[in-house]
Amino acid sequence: MAQRQTVFKDETKLDINYIPSRLPHRDQQLRLLKEFFAFALQSPEKMAQRVIIAGDIGTGKTALSQRFGADITHEATTRGKKLRYIHVNCREYRGSLFLILQHVVSTYHPNFPKRGYSPEELLHTLTQVLDEQDAYTILSLDEFESLIEKEGSDAVYKLTRLQEMRQNKPQRLSLICILRDLKSIEQLDASTKSTLQSNIINLRKYSKQQLIDILNDRISTAFKPLTVPEGTVALIAEIAFSENGNARFAIELLWRAGKHADADNLDTVIPESARKAVSGIIPALRKSDLTSLSLHEKLFLFSIAKLFEQSQKADASFTEVEKTYAVICEEFNKSPHTHTQLWKYLKDLTNHGIVETETSGTGSRGRSTVISLPRLPAHELEKELRTLLDKEQ
Amino acid sequence: MNIEDIFSSKLRMKILKVLHNVGELNVSEIARRLNINYMSASKHMKILEDENILQHKHFGRIRLYRINEKSAKAKAVQNLIDTWQHQNNK
Repeated sequence: MAQRQTVFKDETKLDINYIPSRLPHRDQQLRLLKEFFAFALQSPEKMAQRVIIAGDIGTGKTALSQRFGADITHEATTRGKKLRYIHVNCREYRGSLFLILQHVVSTYHPNFPKRGYSPEELLHTLTQVLDEQDAYTILSLDEFESLIEKEGSDAVYKLTRLQEMRQNKPQRLSLICILRDLKSIEQLDASTKSTLQSNIINLRKYSKQQLIDILNDRISTAFKPLTVPEGTVALIAEIAFSENGNARFAIELLWRAGKHADADNLDTVIPESARKAVSGIIPALRKSDLTSLSLHEKLFLFSIAKLFEQSQKADASFTEVEKTYAVICEEFNKSPHTHTQLWKYLKDLTNHGIVETETSGTGSRGRSTVISLPRLPAHELEKELRTLLDKEQ
Repeated sequence: MNIEDIFSSKLRMKILKVLHNVGELNVSEIARRLNINYMSASKHMKILEDENILQHKHFGRIRLYRINEKSAKAKAVQNLIDTWQHQNNK
């Protein structure tokens, strides 16, 4: 078989989990973050830091935190300090403090039992482990909103006030809280808020030119030389700018455009490749968002997509969706979750902007919730979810 | 305890092998992996601990067992398991 022609040099550089060695237009924030944690390289035992990174989707929050984490761990190792950066996406751990702490403890003791103790005991275990190993942890809590929503002030308070329960002992745990909107913090009680709000790094959405710089930076490592013309870069930046200056979207689109160019056997990524890519991408929703949904959230969203695809209606009632969900569960051989649980899923999907809900006016039969899918083509969503669900079977 | 008494038990050898390969585990997990009951696992682990071959650490209510790296007996056991596994994999 003849060798396949490709425009890519290393497409892993476009992967969502790849941490670039430099962050264009975020150097200042990276420096600030390093300043906040400068103590961790000299005398980490003397203080614990709490920093909030806030910004919309695709403004570089996760990349900033992870780049910082990799840099500071490297620097700490060369100075002989036992400092670990642990990045946790709270949503992937269903916003549960217990599961998050379990993950942290398991990085030190991989076979630590999964059951048989409370979050408080786990928090105590974590400090014991860190004390014994004379180690320090910077815990980065990505999608921090999930933790607030699920556990409320109590859990956040426990995390931030951990040190106060152990006076005159080395400070072991620092926090970076990553969230989209600072309004989420408002839900916390006053004392918890005050422990968090001292250092805030706000990331503003990227301009079109900034997106071009980011794209060019990635192109230099991911694509063969001269395979992505300026016009294509500008077009992708333009589309991503209209998607709220979302750099993650821009990079995903760039990757897809490259794939289309390869499929069409082209030696450059022409603007048409980008256009084709954008028509195949689900706007306002990334694959990564879908992947992180739980099995029943996927089944529930799949039911919504299927219902809209079959009915061609603009909206549907919660009862209709619930009925479809029961059928879908049967198809996938799963026992359906309860009404209350489905309510929670609906609320969660609404909060993430995947679906929209509205309460219908008081009619003769009372109020009902109406669900719509304004931003997504139902058949595309159904296709993506079907692939993910088949994988989980 | 005499060497023949320690090594005469198949379960004790299995416990040592698991801990040597995995690092550290609690009693329930060892019992689960070896498909034996908790009491039985606990009894054999106590014997091995009394011989200084195993040690445990408390994390609240959790006890994690591991091979006692400081014990010469434990080192000899680890060497034996390593040699055995290496030869069998050849």
